[in-house]
Amino acid sequence: MELFTPDFGLIFWMFVAFAVLFFVLWKFAWPVILKNVDSRADLIDKGVEYAQNAKLQLDNARQQAEEYVAEARRQQADMMRDADRIKTQIIEEARSAAQVEAQKVMDSAKVQIQQQQKEAEKQFRNQVSEFALDIAEKVVKNQMADKQAQTKLVNSLLDEIESKN
Amino acid sequence: MKKLIVIFTAFISALILTPAVMANDDSHGDGKLDPKEIIFEHLGDGYGWEVPFNHHKRIPLPVIVFGSDGLHIFSSSHITGGKEYIDGNTTFKLAGKDSDFKGKVIEIVDGKEVRPFDISITKNVCGIFIAVMIVIGLMLWLRSFIKKHGYKAPRKGLGFLELLVDFIYDSVIKSTLGKKSAKFAPYLLTVFFFIFVMNLLGLIVIFPGGANLTGNIAVTLVLAVLTFMVTNLFATRHYWKEIFWPEVPLWLKFPLPIMPAIEIFGMFTKPAALTVRLFANMMGGHMIVIVLTLLIFIFAAVSPVAGGATTVISVLFSIFMLLIDVLVSFIQAYVFTMLSTIFISLAQVEEEHHAEEAHKNELKITTQSE
Repeated sequence: MELFTPDFGLIFWMFVAFAVLFFVLWKFAWPVILKNVDSRADLIDKGVEYAQNAKLQLDNARQQAEEYVAEARRQQADMMRDADRIKTQIIEEARSAAQVEAQKVMDSAKVQIQQQQKEAEKQFRNQVSEFALDIAEKVVKNQMADKQAQTKLVNSLLDEIESKN
Repeated sequence: MKKLIVIFTAFISALILTPAVMANDDSHGDGKLDPKEIIFEHLGDGYGWEVPFNHHKRIPLPVIVFGSDGLHIFSSSHITGGKEYIDGNTTFKLAGKDSDFKGKVIEIVDGKEVRPFDISITKNVCGIFIAVMIVIGLMLWLRSFIKKHGYKAPRKGLGFLELLVDFIYDSVIKSTLGKKSAKFAPYLLTVFFFIFVMNLLGLIVIFPGGANLTGNIAVTLVLAVLTFMVTNLFATRHYWKEIFWPEVPLWLKFPLPIMPAIEIFGMFTKPAALTVRLFANMMGGHMIVIVLTLLIFIFAAVSPVAGGATTVISVLFSIFMLLIDVLVSFIQAYVFTMLSTIFISLAQVEEEHHAEEAHKNELKITTQSE
């Protein structure tokens, strides 16, 4: 059967052709193509890994951010409470300070009034005594000659007045 | 849709009418049909390449022979059609039908036919050169794209080419050979694309194709021998040890080397299987299509009506078979590459691996017995 007997010429040329084909591809094509295929596979692997890492980091960051927000809220609430307390405290203090001051002013005013009253009483008494002496002098001058008797009378009168008061 | 139906009907009726018309036209030949002759002519090699639609004109190809008095190179057009060609003192002609060297160039020495040493550029050789040029062209095209665009993925045809490279490299070579894939990938990929292109060229009926390349046992034999050489030349020491001194009971290998004999036999059955598998698959596909076509002529010789009916069926079946052959072209190239990869990887066994495994098994056994 001619189909099953290999022809030498064809074997020879097939061998030559394959050798040429293999040499050309091995020298020029395969290194570039296979390097490209390999490095692209590496690139894809790296990309996937990077994406996974990024996702992990993003998840972490989100959690952290939530924690920060919660912390900030808590701090805010604390500060509000503090401020409230300080406010009432300040008002309270101001009020008590004002009261103390007012008390002081009133006390000093009272003392002054009492002093002035005393002074006025003293002046009044002096004047009254002067007037009385003047009046009595005039009256007594007319009625009594004896000065000693007159003074005695006047003093007794004055004592009388004083004890009445 | 309506257009399609019209075209389809016209096509079918043309098919039915063709044999009737041809039966009336008696100008062709002697009218006697020899199917076997036609089949072998189409499947076999030849000096010169048929021109489409004309059986008598052929594209002449160079004939290179070493006759009894040295090298002769002449055009195949000198010897077609039974002519004798006298070059110097030697006479060449194509052997006739009854000769032992049917269809080959022979030298006539003292009235006897002698087959000279023949390395002519035949139809198949020319087809191989075309396939080589196509594969080189495709790969250099891909290379220039990569040089220009780097990582960018190519589109359309080039994308398909890269997909094929990636597919064979990744899922066949890398998954089988692992770390050693870089060493053998150039050979295996070259084999794959060469076979694939040759298979597809065989399916094209007119000029650049039409040569039954991978359906020729010489072509597949060379490819299988190359795989055999790559397998055994790069084999590890452990591979040779497995062949000549395998781990079997002593009586199987000592006085009579039974196992080594089987192993050595196995070394040669692998390339033989590769040769025959590719050759038979591709030749079978071609033969079915030719036989289906010949059926038309056989039935048309009986009656034009039968011929018409057979035409429709034959053409539809032929189209179907050719589509299957496209698939087979890929599968056979893939299978050849895959088996070559497996044979090469079997010859790359390492001692440590086996020793480790044996040790593991030993441990398992001891723990079980305890």
